[in-house]
Amino acid sequence: MTTYERLKPLALLAPAIALEVGLFFVPLSLLAIASVTSKDSFFFTPVWTLSNYADIFSPAYTFDFEITFGLIIAAAFLDLVLGFPFAYIMTRRIRKYQDVFRAIMLVPLFGELYIAYGFYYVFLPGGPLSFLFSSSISLFKALYSMPAAVVALAIYTFPFSVYNIGISLQGIDRSIEESARCLGAGSMRTFVSVTLPMSLPGIIGAWLVSIGWGLGAFAIPTLMGGAVVAERMLSVEIYSIALLRMDFGMSSAIGVILAIIAVVIFYISLRASRGALI
Amino acid sequence: MKAASFERVKDAISYTYVLLISGLLLLPFMVILMRSVTLTLPDGTTTFSIKPYFDIVQAFWPKVYLSLSIAITTILIDTAIGVPAAYALVRYNFRGKRTLFTLLNGVWYVPGICYALSLIITYYFLYKWFLGYWGFIGAYTCGFLLLMLMTCIVAFRYLDPCYEESASCLGAGRLTTFFRVTLPLVGPGVSAGILLIFVLSFNEFITALLLNLATKLQTAPVRVYADVTRARVLPSISAEAAVLQLISLAVVLIYLKLVGTKYLRGVILI
Repeated sequence: MTTYERLKPLALLAPAIALEVGLFFVPLSLLAIASVTSKDSFFFTPVWTLSNYADIFSPAYTFDFEITFGLIIAAAFLDLVLGFPFAYIMTRRIRKYQDVFRAIMLVPLFGELYIAYGFYYVFLPGGPLSFLFSSSISLFKALYSMPAAVVALAIYTFPFSVYNIGISLQGIDRSIEESARCLGAGSMRTFVSVTLPMSLPGIIGAWLVSIGWGLGAFAIPTLMGGAVVAERMLSVEIYSIALLRMDFGMSSAIGVILAIIAVVIFYISLRASRGALI
Repeated sequence: MKAASFERVKDAISYTYVLLISGLLLLPFMVILMRSVTLTLPDGTTTFSIKPYFDIVQAFWPKVYLSLSIAITTILIDTAIGVPAAYALVRYNFRGKRTLFTLLNGVWYVPGICYALSLIITYYFLYKWFLGYWGFIGAYTCGFLLLMLMTCIVAFRYLDPCYEESASCLGAGRLTTFFRVTLPLVGPGVSAGILLIFVLSFNEFITALLLNLATKLQTAPVRVYADVTRARVLPSISAEAAVLQLISLAVVLIYLKLVGTKYLRGVILI
């Protein structure tokens, strides 16, 4: 192979690499550097400190982590409960109108802002689901609280979850299920001992991906979560601490922690579901 | 006979479930649309009216144009950068390919708000010329490049290299082959990337919210968010949100009509 041939892929990739380095790796490094400076001193004469991280791991922030992960994990479970049957039916039973249902899966991608705003109306008195709050056996204690935010967040992350489960279900060789049936297992038994275990990596991947996406949610906690969630969700705090309190050091530190958690979660989920990318 | 009717019951249950979930996914959109055309009169009765859509023409449409312009510029740059990169990733083998691909995708896995904050810091500190229109372009081209890469990689994998080989056997140069053979064949795949980047960058609002303070440029979704937090229940605000969703939906429907879901499967759809 000549040098020219060897350099060609590099030349084709160079703009993409330059873009990602300049606008992703450099900013991320600056975020990490800013996280060990005090207040907004990063922009003037940096005052180095580790107190931001000490603060995050102090009991003062425990509640924020509980709120954030409580919300996200609950939404991810709801995704699994609703998403697994959906993915199963979509890959196994739906023959007609498949593309219509697929197209609908693109709608939540328009953004959490519309989901949050739409659900704000849905739960409002007079809205389609307001009976959940007005009836005597009220499911949710307050209108804008954790459960409302969980439902909205689950809708937002639903397509990513279904995608991961669906890919793993499609990857199962149907002949294995057929062999189980031939050997005398009923349809329930086949499902529980063959299909479910074989799609487990996808299920874990889907659960983790939902969590990873939920970490960055912003509009849903602020519009749907009520006062507590809207103030104590970590992703919202990054915004308010940086731009309202001008404490870039602290908000960068939270940003670094969230980014690390998200990257670890996505990495494990990629490993689990063998390359389903989103 | 019994088995067949059992299957039919199963099918009915399946379709009902899928329809219910689809309804739930569409619910926020439908409710916003409904609210935007429902006007409450002073005596408490409600009436159908498209007046809210005319009320927002002056204040809101310039923001929509800004968002559209940002989305289209992003698409152009990402296509120019992403197509050759995906081609190189599929057609060439070199050491560290997987690592490079993972690194190129890194931005996708960092929560939007963290990435937005890191960009703001960088724009203030290093790239001051980015504090304006190009700041949005920079953020989105980098943030959504993965979508173009992914869809193009799927498209290039579908493409049998024998077409390119026959073209070059018949005397076409490399550039001619690329433009006359490769590009038309992967076109639909590239268009899937364009669709996804359009939908996401047109509606993106976290980065735009942070950049709004620094650049004084307000994109349409940020305007909706600002209005929603200021005064939630006005029909004109629902109309703003509905306009953005209808534009996105129209683009999606036109795309699905022309190309179908083939190239979106394996990227974002099952």
